[in-house]
Amino acid sequence: MVDAARQPLIEVKAYTEVEKVEGFVGNFKVTLREKAKYVRADRCNGCAACAKACPVEVPNYFEMNLAPRKAAYIPMSQSVPLVYNIDMDACIHCYKCVDACGALEAIDFSMEDKIIEEDIGAIVVATGFGHFDPTPMTEYGYGRFPNVITAMEMERLNNSAGATHGMVIRPSDNQRPQKLAIINCVGSRDKRYNPYCSNFCCMYAIKNALLLKQMNPNMDISVYYIDIRTPSKGYEEFYDRAREAGIKFIQGRPAEITEDPNSHQLFIKSEDITLGRVVEHEYDMVMLNQAAVPQPDQDHMSSVLNVAQSPGGWFMEYHPKLRPIDSPTDGIFFAGACQGPKDIPASVAQGSAAASRASRILHSDSWQIEPTVAVVWPDRCVSGKGQACGICEKTCPYGAIDYTKGISAEVITAKCHGCGGCVGECPHDAITQLHYTDAEVLAQIRTLLAVEPEKKILAFRCQWCSYGGADLAGTSHFEYSANERGLRVMCSARMDADLIYEAYRLGAGAILYSGCHPQDCHYITGQVAGAKRAARLEKMFARLGISPGRFRTEWISAAEGDKYARVINEMQATLDAIPEIELKAEIERLKPEMVKKLTKLNEVPGVEEAMIQVDFIVNEMKSKAVSL
Amino acid sequence: MSEEVNETKYVGAMPDDEPRIGVYVCHCGSNIAGVIPCDKVVDFAGELPGVVHAAETMYACADSGQRLIKEDIKKYGLNRVVVSACSVRMHEPTFRACVAEAGLNPFLMEMANIREQCTWAHGHDPEGALEKAKDLTAAAVAKASFLTPLDMISVPVTKKALVIGGGVAGINAALDLAEQKIPVVLVEKQPTIGGVMAQLNKTFPTMDCSI
Repeated sequence: MVDAARQPLIEVKAYTEVEKVEGFVGNFKVTLREKAKYVRADRCNGCAACAKACPVEVPNYFEMNLAPRKAAYIPMSQSVPLVYNIDMDACIHCYKCVDACGALEAIDFSMEDKIIEEDIGAIVVATGFGHFDPTPMTEYGYGRFPNVITAMEMERLNNSAGATHGMVIRPSDNQRPQKLAIINCVGSRDKRYNPYCSNFCCMYAIKNALLLKQMNPNMDISVYYIDIRTPSKGYEEFYDRAREAGIKFIQGRPAEITEDPNSHQLFIKSEDITLGRVVEHEYDMVMLNQAAVPQPDQDHMSSVLNVAQSPGGWFMEYHPKLRPIDSPTDGIFFAGACQGPKDIPASVAQGSAAASRASRILHSDSWQIEPTVAVVWPDRCVSGKGQACGICEKTCPYGAIDYTKGISAEVITAKCHGCGGCVGECPHDAITQLHYTDAEVLAQIRTLLAVEPEKKILAFRCQWCSYGGADLAGTSHFEYSANERGLRVMCSARMDADLIYEAYRLGAGAILYSGCHPQDCHYITGQVAGAKRAARLEKMFARLGISPGRFRTEWISAAEGDKYARVINEMQATLDAIPEIELKAEIERLKPEMVKKLTKLNEVPGVEEAMIQVDFIVNEMKSKAVSL
Repeated sequence: MSEEVNETKYVGAMPDDEPRIGVYVCHCGSNIAGVIPCDKVVDFAGELPGVVHAAETMYACADSGQRLIKEDIKKYGLNRVVVSACSVRMHEPTFRACVAEAGLNPFLMEMANIREQCTWAHGHDPEGALEKAKDLTAAAVAKASFLTPLDMISVPVTKKALVIGGGVAGINAALDLAEQKIPVVLVEKQPTIGGVMAQLNKTFPTMDCSI
């Protein structure tokens, strides 16, 4: 902490919030709100005279509200920066602090929040985690029974700098507990609250047990656990040390804590798996080892930073194995528990890793980004002709489209991430995507459906998830029908309705429209656009009377190879169940409807010529198939 | 927005050169060739319009495979390359770099995934897998016919970092960056940095002080 304050190249801005992040890799514009402290940092010397003079006491968050602080305060004596703060919500404006500060004149009641703009090349997000509040778990009585406390409260009780100067006492009577229980997995590995393992709590329970044992060797300490997880270096040995020190480990998740209302003694009822029966033990005090949860403002930060969240609410990395530090947004990196529960060694390591990932960019004079971006044909954009539209701007998750009525929309290339959502949504076929142009994708569709299209299952898949799911199906040798023909675009948002119409016009047997699950989308809200369109298409195809299952929407992650194989096999079964003659009749019935809806084929520049060329390939394929 | 970053303009829907496509069908040892006869895919691809040369290779990603592609680009005047092999997630960067070394724009290479998404998934149906491998290769050839050269987009870099959160991870990231002479703004919403770590007593497994 002090090193950071001392380092001349680090500007520590405490009591400051990030309001807005705009721009792109190498060129972020960040707006910060430096909240008013009402104490001038350039004058305050941290002497504490203001706090001594202040007559107002409020609970201190830093002490888990177990101890008070003044309205003029620092959260702890080693605060960095050492600048006092006046809590205006608590202040009664008696101005005693002003008198106490005297000639220093550091206290300034006229201070206001300051808005600061910074130009930034790369961002490391290290916003940490929050603590699960066990109050809703009524079976443990937290909040009702004074001697049931959380792990963080225990932390401040046994800390020599804490509320009781390191004396662990029972809140009900200030007596020192002789018999204490620690319950693990409170709010984690619990499907009612958080299904995940909180990562560090086993070790944390062992640490606190050992610490308490060191303070009072006679203390009787039991740890209730589901499994003890000690997978890092030196951790299992640490666990051994605790067992040798006489700490009891009881395998079983407690069902209930009850209390004697007079003595405030606690009774834990739990299964003891080793004994194979239900046991009940009495304790003076119980510590609930609560789950790590995302920060309360994690959703807000996620929208400020434009980064997605994984299930559970943590920030989502680009790839869990290959790029665990990168966010899906170029130039934004994650460090520590904001990406998922992590202990100190892992957080420190990830801090260094994030710095190293960021410095690749920060040491470069320029940075290269993929050119698979969207491009507007200005002469096709109706806005240029004075018509109001702006659909592309609304679709873009990155604010990469400049739309002003009366002027053709323009893509801000460096902000464009290349999802192709605007291409899919533009009702006037005025946008295309480099490397996934309409001509290129239509050419693939036409060749994949060249021979016996009615037998084919054409699968549209996003690059990041469903394509990965299909890969995993193969890698795992989950076999599925070889009638599947896969097609890759960057995002389900790019899967234009016209592409689907064209596939049915060509006589496709079935079509799979697949992308990532909404929370996994690499383009923030790309999947949402894709899903809305798929729902519209589904309704329309139902109205047109196509057999159920011939158009199917599925969200398949890169981890769901089994699902990919299952979906294709189910689609094959659907096709098999329709008599050939009926299927062919249905396909023929649908064709004129599709022709009516299709605009891309004749309108998009170059597509018509391109399709003439593709037909040479298709004819060659057909002639080969006949000669077989 | 600087001028430098907004330079990409679409060059047109159709490429201005006549495609001369080379197709490389990888055996991947027995991973592909153990299920389908790769020569049949080569014979099929070799006759597709636009394809001037098609060949088999034991391992397209190996040095020898890449050398073959690079030599053929020169020998046959190829201006597009299709590699029918594994997943783009596996080797797209490899083959982009390979064609670039032979002087082609890296975006003039297209892959057909005939391993993960074909032979590995259809071992029970070798005939179906062969037809699928042909179709996937043809689709890659068709797409390749319309590929246009693309340049990576270059953007300037502001040499300053923002670290959001002054806990143990953020502090460490800020220190590492500053030690590399990169200016850092370290933002913390509480009045002090330190995060949860500063609230802890001793820390496992060494039981040292947290601050």
